[in-house]
Amino acid sequence: MPKLFLGLSAAALVLGCALASRFAHAADATVGADVFKSECAECHSPKEGRNKKGPSLFGIVGRKAASLPDYKYSDALRGRTDWVWTPEKLHGYLSQPAKQTNPGTKMKYDGLTDAKDLDDLISYLGTLH
Amino acid sequence: MSSFFSRCVRYRPGILALCYSFATLLMFASTTVHAIPAYARQTGSACADCHAGAYGGGGNGPNLTPYGMRFKLNGYTDTDDNGKKIPVAGQLTETHDAPARGKSSTDLTEADLYLAGRLTDQIGGYVKVEANYAGNDTYKTQLSNIDLRFVAKDLKLNGKDLTMGVSVNNSPGFDDPIAVLPAAVNLGPPGGQGPTGTFLNESSANSPADRVIGATVYGLYDKDWYGEVGTYNSLPTSTQDHLGYSISGDPGKISDTGYFRFAYMKDLKRQFFSAGIVGLTTRRQLPRTGPADDLTDLGYDLTYQFLGNRENIVQVSYVNILEKRKYGSTPVSPVDPSLVALPRGALHDENLSLTYTFKQSYGVQLAHLQSNGTRDAVRFGPYGKPDTTANLFTVFWAPFGKEDSFTSIANLKLAATWFRFTRFNGVTDNIFGVPLGVATTKPGDLNAFLVTASVAF
Repeated sequence: MPKLFLGLSAAALVLGCALASRFAHAADATVGADVFKSECAECHSPKEGRNKKGPSLFGIVGRKAASLPDYKYSDALRGRTDWVWTPEKLHGYLSQPAKQTNPGTKMKYDGLTDAKDLDDLISYLGTLH
Repeated sequence: MSSFFSRCVRYRPGILALCYSFATLLMFASTTVHAIPAYARQTGSACADCHAGAYGGGGNGPNLTPYGMRFKLNGYTDTDDNGKKIPVAGQLTETHDAPARGKSSTDLTEADLYLAGRLTDQIGGYVKVEANYAGNDTYKTQLSNIDLRFVAKDLKLNGKDLTMGVSVNNSPGFDDPIAVLPAAVNLGPPGGQGPTGTFLNESSANSPADRVIGATVYGLYDKDWYGEVGTYNSLPTSTQDHLGYSISGDPGKISDTGYFRFAYMKDLKRQFFSAGIVGLTTRRQLPRTGPADDLTDLGYDLTYQFLGNRENIVQVSYVNILEKRKYGSTPVSPVDPSLVALPRGALHDENLSLTYTFKQSYGVQLAHLQSNGTRDAVRFGPYGKPDTTANLFTVFWAPFGKEDSFTSIANLKLAATWFRFTRFNGVTDNIFGVPLGVATTKPGDLNAFLVTASVAF
């Protein structure tokens, strides 16, 4: 019985990993580039060193919040010294109004509610290196 | 415009060529733009962020994107916070004009200076001074559109976002964020007879464009609901003269003028649509010592934009304005004393525009412009009909002004425009009503083909 339980657990783990991997690959950076153009590009540039109303998003994934030296961040974001823009953090931040997750931010964004679009977008942001 | 043509024919037939030149000047007016590289420098954005076409729209061509509308609503004050920028820009336009009748010409037709941008976080503006080619290597300098704003952003009302502002401007409708009203696009129907089309139609003879001054208070509630009310007064004729305008185009003395605008505008990121109404009421004395006419304009407009990923953008707009007139006098016809002018009348302007833009660089625009009104044998010679129908076809190429362009803050546009009349003075032949034996003019004789090259910096 313990062997059977162990076997089922192992199978579930393999299956879970396979599904997680499939989910991860389901995010399409190419589609995400289009999402970026319609949702983000007016205020953010994907180019390095180019700030618009919002800071450049080049290298955003893995970057510490409010860390670009040539962009004037809001006090609200500069106060988030513990924030790092991991995919998970971006997912949480972008899925709801920016002023809700970071009151006082300059960013005016209502959030992206379409889960697929959000996954694709974050996948695209991950390519900006 | 038609009134001008009629006077040409009725009183001084020999200067018909000048009339054609006048029509051409109106078309030149239709090629001006509102895309300002100074704004791009101020915001760090590319021209293509605010305009569907990377050179901007203005006279004709693509309209503002929803982002561009917000920039306008925010009083031109948005910034990248990266130092102080000089709010100055310029534009030069070279035009090859090939009219259906008359000589073709190629000239530097317009040189513009823009003072445009933010002064403070709450004060910004747009001022355009243009030098227009006046023939014989001379230029006439005019103060064109102005729109100075004070704005209060990030307000809250019932927990919803609210933006409030004041605009001081010189053309009713020019400051409109959706920017499809005649004053905002310089693309009204070419007008009928006398002081027609409607007062809100910038293409009408004696229109208020650039010759009045007014203030409006506006607000945007919950991102979607726009409202604006205001009033205007016409500038004294001496001031119009000082600003570079011919007294003959005086809109008259206007008083008790009220303007309102309400619109619902929905930005869905990949799509945008709006529905709005506009109204204006005024008492106008034209000439200024004459009796006052009561003018009441009421219109509505519908727009739709498919923006997608900005590769293929389609913009459609429809504007419909009805003007009711109660005239202060009913003159007798100087030609036929048995004819007396009507005490009331109505004028009606309609614009339908369709624009497709590929990669925000290549585009085509089709526009149908129609103006008609109540038949009045005295006011609208020679046939008593103010009806005019015209079409505009434009193709353009704007290689820069995008984020991945060689430069995103200076710009170039090449455009070819065909302006076509199919009805003028209510008829499709002998539009000036000349007697038998005299060469007649058809609406198509007013057509023109223009090729323009514009640079903005």
